[in-house]
Formats: sequence, C-alpha cells, structure tokens
Amino acid sequence: MDGALFIQLFLNGLVAGMVYVLIASGLILVLGVARIFNFAHGEFYMLGAYATFALTQILHWNYFLSVILATAVVSFLAALCYRAIFHYLRGNLLLCAAASIGLSMMMERGALVGFGTQERGLPPAFSGTFGLAGASIPLEKVLVILLCLAIMFGLAFLLKGTTLGRAMRAVKLDTEVAALQGVSTTKIYALTMAVGCALAAFAGGVIAPLFSVTPNMGHVMLLKCFMVLIVGGMESMVGGIVGGLLIGMILSFGSYFLGGLSEIVLFSFIGLILVIKPGGLFGEAVEEV
Amino acid sequence: MHLLIMLGINILLAMGFALLYSTGLITIGAAAFWAVGAYSSALLVLELNLSFWLAMPLAVLISAGLALLIGAVIVRAPGVAFVVQTMVINMIVVQILGQIEFFGGWGGLIGLPRPNPLGPITFATKTEFYYLLLFLLLLTAGVFKALYASRVGRAWQSIQLNPRLALTLGINLYRYRLLAFVAASASAGLAGSFYAHYFGTIEPGTFSVFKSIYIQIYAILGGLGFYLSGPVVGALVMTFLPEFLRLSKEIEPILTGGLLIGLVVFLPGGFLSLPHRIQIWLSNRNTDPVEQGEAGP
Repeated sequence: MDGALFIQLFLNGLVAGMVYVLIASGLILVLGVARIFNFAHGEFYMLGAYATFALTQILHWNYFLSVILATAVVSFLAALCYRAIFHYLRGNLLLCAAASIGLSMMMERGALVGFGTQERGLPPAFSGTFGLAGASIPLEKVLVILLCLAIMFGLAFLLKGTTLGRAMRAVKLDTEVAALQGVSTTKIYALTMAVGCALAAFAGGVIAPLFSVTPNMGHVMLLKCFMVLIVGGMESMVGGIVGGLLIGMILSFGSYFLGGLSEIVLFSFIGLILVIKPGGLFGEAVEEV
Repeated sequence: MHLLIMLGINILLAMGFALLYSTGLITIGAAAFWAVGAYSSALLVLELNLSFWLAMPLAVLISAGLALLIGAVIVRAPGVAFVVQTMVINMIVVQILGQIEFFGGWGGLIGLPRPNPLGPITFATKTEFYYLLLFLLLLTAGVFKALYASRVGRAWQSIQLNPRLALTLGINLYRYRLLAFVAASASAGLAGSFYAHYFGTIEPGTFSVFKSIYIQIYAILGGLGFYLSGPVVGALVMTFLPEFLRLSKEIEPILTGGLLIGLVVFLPGGFLSLPHRIQIWLSNRNTDPVEQGEAGP
C-alpha cells in the first residue's frame, strides 16, 4: 500500500468517524443525563441535513449560515419533543424508548412524504484540493473534520466549564440531590435533549454536501451509532470518540480492501468486543442485575 | 383469511417478546430468529429434501441453538445494552442473509414447496394453513402458560420485579434469562418455519429491524403486564386497524407512530389495562378530594 492511498483512506475514515463521534456523543449525552434512549436520534440528524438542504437550495442562503440555523431549529424542535412527550415518561426507560421509536417512525415517514424518495445533493461548499504526499485532498473533507473537532471541544467546554454543564453532570449523578440544590431538572432534561440533538443536526448539516440526503439516512446512521456504543461503551464520551473513530476506520479500509465483506469483518469485530468486554471498551464493568 | 394468518404469526412473535419481557429483558431482535427459523426450514427442505414436518422441529431447534450461543454472550448485559445488542444482531443477521450467495442473496429464496399432505389435508387452501397455525399457536401458548405457572415462571417474575432481591433468593439471573431468550427465540423460529412454507418465498428485507419494532409494538399495545392476552390484543389491533381505515401504505407509519406515542403517554399499561384504569378513575370520583391526590401519577 502506498502512502497516497493510505492518506486517502485514512482521511475518509476520519471524516466518517468524526461524524459518528458527533452523533454518538449526542446519544450518550441524552442517555446519561436525561435517561432517554433516543431511537429518534438518527431522525434529528436526517432533519438537520434536510433543513440545510432546504435553506441553501431553496432559499439560497449562505451554507454556513444555513447549517447554524438548521441546527438551531432542530434543537428547538428536540426540546419541544422532550416537553411534549418524554417529560411525561421520565424515569421509565422502556416507555421512553417505545415513544422515541414512534417519534422516529413519524419523522422518517414525514420526511418521505414531504421531500419525496429521491436523493438530494448539495454542491460542495469548498471545491479546492491540495496535495499531500502524492494524494490530493479535498478541502471539503478537511473542513468537516475541523468543524467536528471544534464542536467536540465546544461540547467538552460546555460540560466541564459552564454552569449549565455542571448542572447536567449533577443531574446525571443524582437527579434528586441536584433538584434539592435548586437545579430545575425539567429545564436541564429539555436542554440536554436540545444539545444532544443539535450535535446530530449539525453532523447532518456538515455531511450533506459530501453524501446524498435521503429520508432513510437517519436510521442507517442510528444503527452505525449503536455499533459505536457497543464498541465504546454507553457511559463515557471517551468511549464514543474511540468507538466512532475505530468504526469509521474499519469501514473505510475494509470497504476498499474487502468490498462487501467489510461489514462481516466489522460484525466479527463487534462480536469479539461483546465476548471480551460486554460493556464496551470504555464502559464500566457490566453489573449482572 | 390471509389477514388472520398474518395475525397468527404476529401473535406468535409478540408472545416471544412478552416472554422475554417477563424477565425484564427487552429485545429488538425478534425478527432475527424469525429469519433463522424461516431460512433454516427452507434450506432443509430445498437442499436436503427433508419433509416439512421434519424440517419445522429442526428449524425450531436451530433457532434455539443459535439463541443459546448468542444469548450466552449478550444476556450478560441487561438493560439498554441488551436492547442495542439485540438490535445490532438483527441487523447482522439480515446483512449475512443478503450478502452470502448460499442464502439466496437479497433476492431471497423462492419456490418453497407446500407442507407434505397429511392424510386428507393437502394444504392447497389457506384455511388448512390457518388451522395448522391455530394449532401451533395454541401449542405455544400452552407451553408458555405452563412455563409461567411453573417454578421457572415465578423465578422470571421475581427477576422482573427486583433482580437484586431475586439474586439474594438464590435465583441464577443469567441462566433464567438465557432460558427465556432461548424459549422466545424458539417460538420465533416456529413462526419463521410456518411463514416460509406458507408464503413460498422469503427475502431478507422482511426480517429487518423494523419488523422487530412492530413486534415490540404489538406487545406494548396490548399491555406488557399480560403475557399471553396482551400480544393477542395488540397484534389484533395493529393487523386490522390499518386495513379497516383503508390507509395508504404511504402515511401508515405516521399514524402508527402517533398511536404508539399516544398510547405510551396516556395508557402506559396497554389496552388491557383500560378496565382497571376506568375502575380507579370511577372509585376516585366517588371519594373525597383529599384521597384523590394519592392515586395521582
């Protein structure tokens, strides 16, 4: 394998991996703080991509402005969903999961009816390329990686450096004690949902120019994110990051060298993780109760 | 008649889900073992020229055996991890069936023969299939009922109520959960074997995660507290409601999703908990307002 090919594949894996990281982080955040296993998470990603598409292609807005506005709109929608549905089910993981499955069905089919089945594409925001060790690298992909990195650092700052983040971590640790300290749990849950789904919507917005936008992209992505959770564990953000990058790399290198068999390789890898460490690489030891 | 047969298959699948739920495990992978049952039965008949009546029990055994193998790994992690893992396994099964040529690829297997005639019963009409399914359904329900009533069923119940307490009573959580997983998968395999020979063709797309989600909806809709009657009521509603409303396939999932959300929010116990809820509501109305507060959520 020569260097140029390696760089290409590595870059592709990194782009896919960063997107997985972004979406899986949102999933882990919502699961950890609001105790909702959100099956509609992928649908918020899909909605982010469609909103970006609609703003840039139909209203002809600037791409960056569109992504930001799309993210804001989708995260507001997510908070609304929390208040309208999940608020009444708080604490019941199964019912929350069932309701989010219903939500996901509605959103996916709604997008299908609203936008049609055909694939939508966005023109690249940046068309230039530059050379590195014989490989030509599109600026677009570098931009996606940088944006995702920036968002991840922003998320880390939000969680560690702000009052809101402290409140979120307090609620995750112990909801009742946090409420006793004057933290409004309803507000925190709704905000967590908004932040988590904003991560998904942002990922949808930045990925829209690279891949096509379809109504079923949400659940395809959600299933990938579930694999990330199995590999990385469901408790920690570090697990999400490592799992996301690993799966991105395996799929990128695997699909070049093995073609259709790459998924089988990925599945065997996941099976191996399940056997060796059922809680994921960075998960806590699984309690058997 | 076709609808009734689909209803029967759905009930069979949802009963497996409810069985697993009775131990506190939630699966979104029921369709995977449905697929295993259908494909193993079909391949046994097509490749080895076995009789349907021999292939069906073998398909059930293969489903149960595979469930034992997979369950031994994934039952260790209950809760959300189990939900995610069963879902991914469902996905993997569909991918493997679609990618590997031996299983017929994405086009699936076609031309499965009808069951061999059984005396005067030739399985030429749907009515005969219907009675066969009814027999299988009653058989499964009987076995499940016996299980629920036995020591095993009481152990499952205690695990669902409080796993830690069950542990202190000397109940081996892992083994009892594994048993439930195998039993549920075996019933799904039975449904799969019947489905394959009833339809004559099977393709991987039928057994997707979406089917597993629908199976879950049947059980939740009827009421999760009712292990046998819940799936019947839930599957009844979900199979016939879209037909009666004459909905286009286009918007059906939107209404189904809305129904699911509404039900979960307003009637979390399922349809069968309705009489109980009305009873509570009526008795609350007749008492003084001070006591009313106690019945609140």
